[in-house]
Amino acid sequence: MIRISHLRMSYRSAGERVAAARDVSIDIKQGQFYTLLGPSGCGKTTTLRCVAGLEEPDEGEIEVGGDLVYSSTRGAWTPPYKRNIGMVFQSYAIWPHMSVFENVAFPLVNGEEKLAREDIRKRVLAALALVKLEAYVDRPAPYLSGGQQQRLALARALVAEPRVLLLDEPLSNLDAKLREEMRVELRELVKRLNVTTLFVTHEQLEALTMSDVVAVMRDGKIIQEGTPHEIYSHPNSAFVAEFIGRTNLIPGMVPQGASAGAEIVVETNMGPVIAQAVSAFAPGEAVFLAIRPEDVEVSRMNGATSSNVFDAQVERLLFLGEAVDSFVRIGGQSFQMRMHPSAAPSFGDSIRVHLPRARCLALSSQ
Amino acid sequence: MSAIAIGAKRGGLFRMGENLPAAMLTTVVIVSLIIFAHLAVILWLSFTDGAPGISTVSYGLANYVEVFTDRRTLDVLVNTLGFSVVSLVVALVFGVPAAWFVERTDIRGKTILFTLMTIGMLIPGFAAAMGWLFLMHPRIGLLNVWAMQAFGLSSAPFNIATVIGMGWVQGLNLAPLAFIMTAAVFRAMDPALEEAAQMNRASIFATMRRVTLPLAWPGIMAASIYIFTIGFAAFDVPAIIGWSNRIFTFSTFLYLLISPQDVLPRYGVAAALSTVVMALAAALSWWYGVMQKRSRQFAVVTGKAYRPRIIKLGWVVYPAWTFFALYFLLSKFLPITLLGWSSLLPFFQLPSAQSLSMISLNHYASQPWSLVLTGVQNTAILMLLTPTVTLAVSLAFSWIVLRSKVPGRSFFDFVAFLPHAIPNIIFGVGALLVTLYVLQRVIPLYGTIWLLLIVFSIARISYATRMTNAGLIQIHTELEESAQMSGAPLRRIFRRVLIPLLSPTLLYAWLWIALLTFRELTLAVILSSSTNTTLPVVIWSLWLGGGLGQASALAMVMLAAMAPIIAIYWIVARRHGLMASS
Repeated sequence: MIRISHLRMSYRSAGERVAAARDVSIDIKQGQFYTLLGPSGCGKTTTLRCVAGLEEPDEGEIEVGGDLVYSSTRGAWTPPYKRNIGMVFQSYAIWPHMSVFENVAFPLVNGEEKLAREDIRKRVLAALALVKLEAYVDRPAPYLSGGQQQRLALARALVAEPRVLLLDEPLSNLDAKLREEMRVELRELVKRLNVTTLFVTHEQLEALTMSDVVAVMRDGKIIQEGTPHEIYSHPNSAFVAEFIGRTNLIPGMVPQGASAGAEIVVETNMGPVIAQAVSAFAPGEAVFLAIRPEDVEVSRMNGATSSNVFDAQVERLLFLGEAVDSFVRIGGQSFQMRMHPSAAPSFGDSIRVHLPRARCLALSSQ
Repeated sequence: MSAIAIGAKRGGLFRMGENLPAAMLTTVVIVSLIIFAHLAVILWLSFTDGAPGISTVSYGLANYVEVFTDRRTLDVLVNTLGFSVVSLVVALVFGVPAAWFVERTDIRGKTILFTLMTIGMLIPGFAAAMGWLFLMHPRIGLLNVWAMQAFGLSSAPFNIATVIGMGWVQGLNLAPLAFIMTAAVFRAMDPALEEAAQMNRASIFATMRRVTLPLAWPGIMAASIYIFTIGFAAFDVPAIIGWSNRIFTFSTFLYLLISPQDVLPRYGVAAALSTVVMALAAALSWWYGVMQKRSRQFAVVTGKAYRPRIIKLGWVVYPAWTFFALYFLLSKFLPITLLGWSSLLPFFQLPSAQSLSMISLNHYASQPWSLVLTGVQNTAILMLLTPTVTLAVSLAFSWIVLRSKVPGRSFFDFVAFLPHAIPNIIFGVGALLVTLYVLQRVIPLYGTIWLLLIVFSIARISYATRMTNAGLIQIHTELEESAQMSGAPLRRIFRRVLIPLLSPTLLYAWLWIALLTFRELTLAVILSSSTNTTLPVVIWSLWLGGGLGQASALAMVMLAAMAPIIAIYWIVARRHGLMASS
C-alpha cells in the first residue's frame, strides 16, 4: 500500500545541509500497522511527512496505493491535497473556529469529489460514531478535552476513507492513563477498518503494543525491521537492544569467531559467557553481551561446574510494585535483574545467577 | 545528489502545485521593487544637475554642495532640530507619567484612560494645529487678546508661530505615542526586582531612582528615538502654523522645493536633502533597534504569570487626575472647541454678546462644493481600498516570509520594514519623482487616485506586516497542514482556515489603517492635484487661501465623521483585547 524506495531528504540548517533521511526503503502491506520508532532527530517524522507530501524529498520514490506520488527520476509529484491520505497531527490541528461537525466535514467539503449535503452529514456522523463523539457534533471544537480532540482528529482523518492513515506521534500530548486507553482503542479501530497505517513514535511501548511491524530508525536509516516480538527478543544491535526495553550491555571479546546464529563464547570481566552470535564474528573481535533483566534467573547450580552461572552480591533494590529490580555485582560487573516481589533477595545477600544461553546475545559493538 | 535534482526541486514554494504561492511571491517582489524604486530615484536625482527630463543630464555633487552651504538649509536644519526636541520633551512630559499612572498605580478608570490616550493619536495634527493657532496667534489668538486686555499688555505674551510653539502642539499630538510605548515598558517590568530593592532597605523613591527608572530607561530611550524621528519628519503642524509665517522645518521645506509658488521646482536639491535625511533616519532607526534590544533584555522573559507591583496613590490621586484633565484640556478640548467656535463665526473674534449674535452655519453651507465632493469621494474610496490593499499585500509578505521556503525570504521582511524607517514624506517625494520622470509616459499615474492608493498602502506596510506576522506566528502550521491533508488547495486554506483565524487581527488593523488614511495629509499634499485631492488637502488649501472659517467647518465635519468609525474600532479592539501601537 505504501512503498518507499531509496528515500533521501536533507534540510538546510544554519547554512549546512543536514541529512534527515538517508536511503530509507519501506514496503507496507494493505491493512498493516507499520511503526517508525526512533529517538528524536532520527528521520522518522521526515519520512512520514514525505509520504504526506508536506516535505519534498531530494531523491527516491514513493508510491501510495499503487500510485506514484513522488519520483526523483521520473519527475513525479502529487501535491499533498491530492494524495487521499488521512493524517493525525501531534497537536491534533483541530481548527478552533469550526464546530466538531465542520472539522470532520472539511475533507468532504473541500476534497476533489463533490457530495450532497445529506451524504456529508451521514458520513460525518458515521465517522464521529467510530470515535464515540456523536454526542458532540455541534459543539465548538475548542470546547473539547484533549482526549476528545484527539478522537476528533482521528475522525477527520478517516472520514474521507483515505487509502492510508498517517499518525504523527498522536498520543504524545495525552496524559498517561488516557494514552494507555487510546493505544488499544486506536489499534482496534484501524484494524477493524483495515486501513493501512504508518505510525511515528519515540515511545517503545506504543510501538510494541500497537504495531504489526516495527522499524527502528537511527540517523536517517532503518536499522532493524520486524514484528514487535522479533525486535524485542532479537535486537540486531546494541542500539536497538538499549532503545527498546531495558537490557544489560556488557562489553566483551570473542576469542574464537562464529557465524551468525551459532553459539559463541564471550569473554567478559565476569568470566566466559556462552551466547548466540547475532552476526558473524572474527576471532578477537570486540562485542557486547546483551541480556534482558527479566531473563536473568536465580540459580541453585554450581558455578564451578555449570556454564553461565555466577556468584553475585545484591547491592541495591528498587521496588516497583509489580516487580523488584535488583542491582547485583558479579566480579567487576554491575548487573540488573528483575524478579517477582515474592522471590526478591534482601540487601547484601549473596546469590547465584544464571544467564540462559538462548537469551544471551553477542552483538556487534559497531 | 546531482545539481539537477536540486534545481528540479520545486523549491518548497511551488510544491503545492498551484498558482497562489507564485502569485504571492510575484506580489511581494513587485511591491519590493516599487519600494526600492522610490529610494533609487531619489538617490539618482540627487546626483543630477539641472532639471531632469532634459536629455543632457550631467552628474555631480552640486545638489549636495547646495544643501550643505545654503544658509536657508542651515536655518531649516536648526528649526527642525529645535522643533523635534521640543515636541519630544512635551510628548515625554505628558506621555511617561500618564503611562506610569495607568500601569503602575491604583488609579481608577484605567481602561477609559488607555482608550482616550490611544484614540488621541487619531485626532488629525492639522486640526489641533488650527485650534492652537486660534488660541495663541500673536494678533487674533484668544489667549493673547485676553491677556492683553486683562493685564494691559502692549504686545502679545504668547506666539504659537515659533519653533517652540509648533513643537508644543506637535508634542501634545505625540504624547499618546509616548504613552503607549512606555506603558508597554512599565507593564513588562518584573515586580520582584523592585521588591528586592525594598527588601534591601531602599525607600520607594530610592527604588524608583535606583531600580525602576534604570530598568525602564532603554525602553524610554527607544520610544524617544522613535518619537524624535516622527517629529523630525512631521508635516501637519509646521504646514498649518509655520508655512504662512515662513518658518520651515525639513518636511515643509522639502515641499517648498518641489512645489514653489514662483520659481521652478528644484527636484535635485529636494532629492539631495532627502538622501541626507534618509541617512539620518537610517542611523536613528539603527539606534532605535539597539535600544529596543536592550529594553527586551530587561523585560520579563519568564512565562510565569506576574503582575507589576501596583503603587497606592493615596492623596496623589488628585494631582494625577488633574494631570490627565490638563492634558485632555490642552490637547483635545481647547483646540477642538476653538476650531468649532471659529467655524461658526464670519471672522474669528473673542466670545462676546456681539459675537454670539453673529453665530451661523454659513461656513458649513458655503463650501467650494465641487472640490469638497471630489475630496470626500476620493477620501472615501481611499479609506476603503488602502487598508484592503495594504493588508492583502502584507498577508502575502508574511506568508512568504514565515511559511514558504523561498531562498532569501527574510530579505522581504527587511523590505517591509523600510517604509517605517524612512520618513513618509520622503516616500511621497520618491513617488512623485518616479511617476513624473520614470512612469509618466508609460503609465500616467500622476493626478490619479491610484497613485495615492499605492503610496498610502506602501507607507502602511510596515505596520500591517507587523500585525499579520504576529497573527500568522500564532497559528500552528499543523492547522494548515491538516487542511492540506484534507484535500484543500492553498487558496481554500486561506479562505477556510487562515483568514477566519486571522480575522480579528485583520479587522482591527483594517480599521486602524482606514482611520490613518482618513486623516493623512502629508502624502496627499505632495501627490495630489485638483483631480485626486482628498478631504485633508481641501482643508489645507482652504486654510492657505485664507478661508479659515471654511477650513474650520470642514475640519469639524471631518472630526464628526471619524467618531462612528472610532467607536467601531474601539468595540473591535476591546472585544479582542487589542490596542494600537502606532
